[in-house]
Amino acid sequence: MSTIPASATSRDPGYPTSRENYLTNSSGVLSWLFTLDHKRIGLMYLIGVVTAFAVGGLLALAIRLHLLSPEGWMFSGPEANNIYNQVFTLHGAIMVFLFIIPSIPAALGNFLVPVMLGAKDVAFPRLNLSSFYLWVVGAIFFVSALFSTGLDTGWTFYTPYSTTTDTSVILATLGAFILGFSSIFTGLNFIVTINTMRPPGMTWFKMPLFLWATYATSIIQVLATPVLGITLLLLIAERVMHIGIFDPEFNGDPVTYQHFFWFYSHPAVYIMILPAFGIISELISVHSHKHIFGYRFIAYSSIAIALLGFLVWGHHMFTSGMSSLTTIIFSALTFTVSVPSAIKVFNWLATMWKGSISLTTPMCYGLSFIFLFTIGGLTGLFLGTLATDLHLHDTYFVVAHFHYVMVGGTLIAFLGGVFHWWPKIVGKLYNEFHGRIGAGLIFIGFNLTFLPQFVLGSRGMPRRYATYDPEFATLHFWSTMGALLLGAGLLYALVTLLVSVVKGKRAPANPWGGATLEWHCTSPPPYYNFERPPVVGDPYDFHDIEWDAENERYVSTEPEREIAPAETPETVPAHAGGQK
Amino acid sequence: MIMNAISFRMLADLNDSFWFPKQASTFAGEVDWVYDMILYVSLVFFIPMMGAMCWFVYRYTKKKGEKAESQVSHNTPLELTWSIGPSVLLVWMFIQGSISYLDMRTPPEGSYDVGVQAFKWGWTFDYGGGVFHPELHIVKDEATKLSMRSTDVIHSLFVPAFRAKKDIVPGRYNYMWFKPTVANEQIPPEELAVLKQQNQGAVWDYDKHQVTPEGYSFFDLYCTEYCGKNHSEMQTAVVVHETQDELDAWIKANSARPGDMAPAEWGQLLYNRRGCSGCHSIDGSKLVGPTFKDLFGSEHGLTTGESIVVDENYVRESILAPKAKIVAGYQPVMPSYKGQLSDDDIASIIEYLASISGNAPSATADGTVEEDKNTTDSPST
Repeated sequence: MSTIPASATSRDPGYPTSRENYLTNSSGVLSWLFTLDHKRIGLMYLIGVVTAFAVGGLLALAIRLHLLSPEGWMFSGPEANNIYNQVFTLHGAIMVFLFIIPSIPAALGNFLVPVMLGAKDVAFPRLNLSSFYLWVVGAIFFVSALFSTGLDTGWTFYTPYSTTTDTSVILATLGAFILGFSSIFTGLNFIVTINTMRPPGMTWFKMPLFLWATYATSIIQVLATPVLGITLLLLIAERVMHIGIFDPEFNGDPVTYQHFFWFYSHPAVYIMILPAFGIISELISVHSHKHIFGYRFIAYSSIAIALLGFLVWGHHMFTSGMSSLTTIIFSALTFTVSVPSAIKVFNWLATMWKGSISLTTPMCYGLSFIFLFTIGGLTGLFLGTLATDLHLHDTYFVVAHFHYVMVGGTLIAFLGGVFHWWPKIVGKLYNEFHGRIGAGLIFIGFNLTFLPQFVLGSRGMPRRYATYDPEFATLHFWSTMGALLLGAGLLYALVTLLVSVVKGKRAPANPWGGATLEWHCTSPPPYYNFERPPVVGDPYDFHDIEWDAENERYVSTEPEREIAPAETPETVPAHAGGQK
Repeated sequence: MIMNAISFRMLADLNDSFWFPKQASTFAGEVDWVYDMILYVSLVFFIPMMGAMCWFVYRYTKKKGEKAESQVSHNTPLELTWSIGPSVLLVWMFIQGSISYLDMRTPPEGSYDVGVQAFKWGWTFDYGGGVFHPELHIVKDEATKLSMRSTDVIHSLFVPAFRAKKDIVPGRYNYMWFKPTVANEQIPPEELAVLKQQNQGAVWDYDKHQVTPEGYSFFDLYCTEYCGKNHSEMQTAVVVHETQDELDAWIKANSARPGDMAPAEWGQLLYNRRGCSGCHSIDGSKLVGPTFKDLFGSEHGLTTGESIVVDENYVRESILAPKAKIVAGYQPVMPSYKGQLSDDDIASIIEYLASISGNAPSATADGTVEEDKNTTDSPST
């Protein structure tokens, strides 16, 4: 059922030739290793972060399997606790530093930012490639830490444990230090790109919300990550030279380390979640075929979160013995940061109202995100409230809360984004049926894994325990079952995508009906993206996007134009008696 | 008094909920109330929001190409309402949370003070007058203040039943307090004897028996700040006594070696009680520190390259100044027990070490070894 008015003309960029297609316009390993094309770098990042995620995910499964029984099921022998500690440390460190932080900004962001801007590349393509290689070097440091003496400090490297343990703290912190630079380079690149390379007509408030989110994220990356670098260097100096800043044995103060660390790592939470907000804003609007509701509130709330996010680090330390006044101030600031997040959720729901919803795979992930992130956000209230935090701090409640935000939020948005832009990235359509099954399995598996952990936490089960009291066994059992289902769902989703590369149908330029610029170039885009900067209007105006049923694609249409004046004017002027 | 205990127990059972362990301190009721209120507020938002989402999906799912019924892009009054409206509830949460927090932060004057020393991986509670014990024993309805320090890394003391938690940071004292409201009971001696029989002299398993070695029921006390290998085993028991007299009697019973107890038996008790077992095995396996099996009387190489015979003086020095002479292959991580063990305690530990060593020097010592093994029912492993 075509809805294109017969009189209208439709525009579609068609398909790229293999000489234009960014994937095939040059070949050979070196053409990838030394590429400056942001799309190829984005794709390499995508492969990299998915590999890191697979490793971190297998470690997570090992954690859950070990916790199947109170005495520990997976690892045995006198070193069982040590192995467990190393596994949860590497799970955390790999997921945070190698996966979540670079996942959306570096992989999807790299691919999308210039295309959404109608630009040919980012502002600094060489910086972009070096950022990828820094990521690789950082990953190598982590792997070498794993294969030397391991790492058992937790991903937070709290002193004085990290200055006294004999595992590879220095290798791992150097790795995190290098990854920090990778993150800074990406952030800097995006700030300059978005500031200077917007196409004609794209004012700040005509940018897609994904770009707003990326911009806010980049600001945090550039401002906060140096603090992590300094902290980790000080930690190494403390370990090697005993400079006496963090280790009480040399007159240092361990709580100072926590302040330094969380001054970066709390904003880093927003590095992880802000790009996810951006993706969800795109997904909900495009798959509801309706203008995003409250554009300005969503855009401003991204910036508000980025700024307020710098003021709340102390809520990780409510039990550490800070003064009562400091603690109460941090609690108050923490509540302020919850407001902008709530605004976004209301806006997404309002966007769906009276829309024309297509239950595609990306939309399933979008809905899943709203459900899970809302739980993640609301459970944050229990932790921001001081009285309840004293009970819940460092229990499984916290574990469940941040997994609802990081996995239920960021990972689900990342998957939604990958499924949304997959046709654009590889030029192939995946099987929608299998895509939705994967999304469903992940949703059920995730909830089964982490809902029981809220109860575990409020009943008093501390986190980072290799063994536990028998009264917690039932809930741990369900959590492990959920983790297995979640793992299966993720594998299912991955296979769906990989199969599409081989067997998928060729993707049209605009498979979903999006209005932002990336849907105006071919799938996959040509290596130059756009011949000349396109003129843009409102990125969420779906009036002229029509479904072309014959070719199973959306096209942008232009109503039939009349040439005015319609008739040929009289050749004889009026004063000469020509007009009647 | 027994009636009291029973009625309290029933009350406590009534309070056992889906979300929480037993309420056993004055904080518990308040914390649980705040928790429940936040939970209800959250549900009041969550359920309608998810209901709306499902309804929209059901109502507005359309075939491809059908246009949305509306393209409304904003509604400023509505957006301002849902931005500012919920803030009232956030302000309430903040204020209520902070008021309760200040209560939980400030110990009342004249609280009963117990010293806490946390170490990898155990606890020592200081009851004054040279009485140290790994279990926390306190009195019902008496505000108790803990003055806590750590000898190595950061730990955190958490009693779920009291809803109380505080980090223990090396290099400073941290304080916490609570007022327990439920007393623990002691099982009859016959039942305890049966359990002891089952235990076969092995290290007491609190979780399995659900009572302390003295037969008290107890509340769990956990370490909640990751502190290394055996973090998850850094647990102990909190026993709440009905009256101060009962606590005093318990303290007296644990103050020193009872006259009728053999030194080696007391040494074994101290070995299990004071955290030695966390780092020194008695079955020959290598933990953080050297094993105690066959240690006494043997010869050891030190990190300095010298070697030394483990005799009474070396053991004594290693307890009081552990970092003076380190056995090769180990880290200088043991905290000093200076001022925490009496001369009799140290002598008892030395006796115990001699009793589990095949290298114990003199024939007479060997004789006592055999005798002690019989009397103490030494662990078979």
